Amino acid sequence: MGKGFDGEVLVKAEKVVKSFPGVWEHLILDHVDFDVRAGEIHALLGENGAGKTVLANILSGFYTLTEGQIYVRGRPVTIKSPKDALRHGIGMVHQEFTLVPPLTVAENVALGLRKYSSFSFPIREVERRLRELSERYGLRVNPRARVEDLSVGEQQRVEILKVLYWEPEVLILDEPTSVLTPEEVDDLFRVLRNMADEGKGVVLITHKIEEVKKVADRVTVLRLGKHMGTMRVDEVDEERLLKLMIGDVEPFRPTRTRVKQSSKPVLRVEDLHVVGSEGVEAVRGVSFEVREGEIFGIAGVAGNGQRELVEAITGLRKASRGRIIIMGRDVTNRSPREIADLGVRHIPEDRRRTGVVEGMTLGENMILRDYRSQPFSRLGVLNLKFIGEFTQKMVKEFEILAPDIWETEVRILSGGNIQRLILARELWREPRLVVAFHPTYGLDLKALRHTHNIFMKLREKGTAILLISEDLDEIMSLSDRIGVMFEGKLVGILDAEKATIDKIGKMMTGIYAE
Amino acid sequence: MRERLLKVLRKLSESLIAVVIGLLGGAFLMILYGYDPWLAYRALFTGAFGDLSGIFETLAFATPLIMTALTFAVGVRAGLFNIGAEGQMYLGAMGAVMIGGALSLPPGIHLVAATLFGMLLGALWSLPVSALKIYRGVHEVVSTIMLNWVAFWLVMYLITYHFAEPGRAERAVPAQETARYQIIGASLTTVIFVVIGFALLTYFIIWRTTAGYELRLVGYNPEAAQYAGISSVKATYLSFFIGGLAAGLAGASQVLGRPPSWTVYATMGNLLNLGFEGIGVSLIGRNHPIGIIFAAIFYGGLVHGGRFMEFEVGVASELVRAINGIIIIALSIPEIISLIGRIVRRRRE
Ligand SMILES: Nc1ncnc2c1ncn2[C@@H]1O[C@H](COP(=O)(O)OP(=O)(O)O)[C@@H](O)[C@H]1O
Ligand SMILES: [Mg+2]
Repeated sequence: MGKGFDGEVLVKAEKVVKSFPGVWEHLILDHVDFDVRAGEIHALLGENGAGKTVLANILSGFYTLTEGQIYVRGRPVTIKSPKDALRHGIGMVHQEFTLVPPLTVAENVALGLRKYSSFSFPIREVERRLRELSERYGLRVNPRARVEDLSVGEQQRVEILKVLYWEPEVLILDEPTSVLTPEEVDDLFRVLRNMADEGKGVVLITHKIEEVKKVADRVTVLRLGKHMGTMRVDEVDEERLLKLMIGDVEPFRPTRTRVKQSSKPVLRVEDLHVVGSEGVEAVRGVSFEVREGEIFGIAGVAGNGQRELVEAITGLRKASRGRIIIMGRDVTNRSPREIADLGVRHIPEDRRRTGVVEGMTLGENMILRDYRSQPFSRLGVLNLKFIGEFTQKMVKEFEILAPDIWETEVRILSGGNIQRLILARELWREPRLVVAFHPTYGLDLKALRHTHNIFMKLREKGTAILLISEDLDEIMSLSDRIGVMFEGKLVGILDAEKATIDKIGKMMTGIYAE
Repeated sequence: MRERLLKVLRKLSESLIAVVIGLLGGAFLMILYGYDPWLAYRALFTGAFGDLSGIFETLAFATPLIMTALTFAVGVRAGLFNIGAEGQMYLGAMGAVMIGGALSLPPGIHLVAATLFGMLLGALWSLPVSALKIYRGVHEVVSTIMLNWVAFWLVMYLITYHFAEPGRAERAVPAQETARYQIIGASLTTVIFVVIGFALLTYFIIWRTTAGYELRLVGYNPEAAQYAGISSVKATYLSFFIGGLAAGLAGASQVLGRPPSWTVYATMGNLLNLGFEGIGVSLIGRNHPIGIIFAAIFYGGLVHGGRFMEFEVGVASELVRAINGIIIIALSIPEIISLIGRIVRRRRE
C-alpha cells in the first residue's frame, strides 16, 4: 500500500462535463476532476446513478465528453473510440460481460484483436500470451476452456485478460466485485495489487466503502455527478466517506416493536415439491408458515431451490406435490393473477428481465399491477392523467431518478432506480403478503435503508413478508424467524434471537441441521 | 414533451435520408438505362400530387394499404410476425361480394352490412392462426403463408363458380348501388374515411386501453407479462383479430369503394399483393397506425405517379417497379434495423 502516491500521473481528466441533452435536464457529470497515478489503486466511490460508469466510459472512449479535457502523461488528447483509448493505454472492464459463450477463452480474446485477418487466426499465439499473462498477474484461467463452462468469477477473469492483452497502463474496472463471492473478491484484489505494483494505474469503481478501505490507495467520491473530493484512503475514515457519498440519510431503525404477533398464518406451505427447469426436483418437501406482521427470512446459498420455491408460491411454476395456502385459500398451481389478486406482491430476482418491461416508459411500468383497477382505468380505458400523477408521486416518494415518466424507456435507468420502481409498484398498496427475492441486491446504502424501513413499516401494519436473500446481515437484521434452505429442503427454522451467523452459515452448507 | 419531439424528429429525419438514398438509387438505375431521372421524377411527382385528380388517385391506391399495413403493425406490437393480411384481404373482398353484390338490402344497412361482413370474414380467417400458435406452437409465418394460398384458391373458386356476374364470367357480381361508397373524385370513395377511422381507433386501442396495454406488454416482454399475470393467449387473439378486421376491410374497400369495377376479377388481379405490400408500408410507417397513413399515401403516390414516368418519359414499367422497390427498401431499412435489434436483444436475454 501507499506506493502510488508519488507515481507519475498517467491519465488526468480536468473539469469533465457530460450531459445527455433531451434526456436529462441536469448534468450527469458536473466539472469532475480525476487522475490516476502509476502504481496506485484509485477507487471511484459513489452511489447508484452518481456517474461512475459514465466517467469510466468517457475515459475509455465509449462516450465522448461534453466539456473538459483529458490528458495522458501530461499531453492533452481527444479520445474518440475504445480503440483510441487502448492506444493511449486505457482499458476498461465493463460491469456486464461481453463474452461469446460457446467459444473458448482464447477465441474470445482473439475476437477483439482486429489486427489479424480471419484467415490467420493465431490461436496458439493467443493461448501462449494468455498463459503468460495469467501467470504474471495470478489470474487463473485455462485458455482452452469454453466460456459457457466457466463460473462467473472465471468469466470476469477472462474479461480482465481481454483488456490486459493490450498491455494498458491504466485499467478501469466497473463494479467488478458485484458478481463475486467473498473469496473471489480477495483473489481479485490480490491481482489488482499485483498490477499496481507493476506500475499500472488501477481504477476500481465501487459503491462499497469497505472495499475502498481494504484495497485502495486513494479515493475519489462522486455524488449525483458532482466531485465530492479526492483523498488518501489512510487519511479518511468510513464515516466521512459515507457522508461524502450520500449526504444525510435516514437512520435504519430495526425497532423490533413486538407487533401483536398474531398467530394467523398468511402463507402456509405444506410439503411442497417443485421440479426446476432442468427437470430435477429443486424443492423437495418444504413446509413453513409466515404469519401476519412477520418477516420470515430464508437464507441459503443460491441454487438450493429458493427460486423454484418463490415461483411456485407466486404461481409462475407448477408444484408437483404439496399445498400452498394463502389467506386460508388453497392456491396450489393457481395462475399468477389469481394469486396476485389475493394481495400478494412479488419483488422478483431478475429485475430487468422479469420485473420491468425495458422498452416501455416509467409510467407504463408503474401500473403493471394496477392497470385494471379504478382509477387507473375505467371501462377498459387507461386514465393517463391519473397514471401520470400517480407515477409522479411514486417517483418523489421512492426517489426514483428518471428524466420523464412518459418519454424515457426504463431501459436507460440504472439498476438501483429500476429496483426502486419495482419496490414502489409492489409495496405502495400495503399488500397482505410480500415475496421479496434479493430485494436490496445492488442497491446503494441509502436505497437499502429506505427499503428496510419500508419493510419494517409494512410489518408493523400486519403484512407478512417472505424474504429470500443471500445477504446474511440483511436476513439477520430484519427477520423474526429464519429458515435455512439447503438442497431443496428447509434444514431448520430458527427464532431470530437464537440465530447466529455461525449457526446459519453451517446450516447453509449442510454441515448442521436443526 | 421536448423529448417526444426530438424522437419524432429523429425518426422523420431517418426516413427523409432514406427517401433521398432511395431516390438516388433509382436515379442511378435510370442513368444506367439512359433516362433522364430529373424529368422522370418530375413526372412521378406531378402525376401523383400535381393536381386534384392525381391526389385522389394516389389516395385511392393508399386506402387498402393503410389497412393491410395495420395488420402487420398490430402483429409487431404483440411480438408477432403476421404476414396473413394477403389471404384475409381476399376473404374480406369475398364477404363484400356476398353481401354487397349478391344480396339486396335496404340502402344504408346494405353498405354497413357488406363492410362488416367483409371485415368479419377477414378476422375469422385469422382465428386458425391464433389457435395453431397458442395450442400447437405453430409459428404464424408458416400458418399464414399456408392460409394465404388456401384463401387464394377458395376465393377464386367461389368467384368463378358461385358468384360470377351473369354473362361476364371474368368477374364476380359487382356491388349494388346500395352497397357502394360515394365517389369523391377519380376512383377515390368515402371508404377512405372508414379506413382512416379504423386506423385511429386501432391507435386508441393499442395505446389507451388496458387490452392494448396487455398486447404491447406481451409483445415487449412475455416474461414480465407472465409475472404480471397477463395471459399471452388473449393478447395473441386480439392482435390477430384486429389485424384480420383490418385486412378484411382492405379487401371490402376494393369491392365496395373502388370504381370503376366495384368487384373482384376472377384473376384476382385487382387484389393481388395488396397484403404483402402492406408489410413494406408498415415498415416505412414505423409500425405505427398514424405513421402508416402517411406511408401509405407516399406508397400510393409512387404507384400512381410511377405510371406517369412511363407515359411521359417512357421509362419501362419494369424499371419503374425496380425504382419503386429501391425507394421502398431504403425506407424500410430504419425500421428493419430496429426490429432486428429487438429480436437480437430478446435472444441474448
Ligand atoms: N446513455 C445514457 N443516456 C441517458 N442517460 C444515461 C446514459 N447513461 C447513463 N445515464 C444516466 O446517467 C446517470 C449516471 O449513471 P451511471 O454512470 O451509470 O451511474 P453509476 O454511478 O451507478 O455507474 C444515471 O442517472 C443514468 O440514468
Ligand atoms: Mg455503474
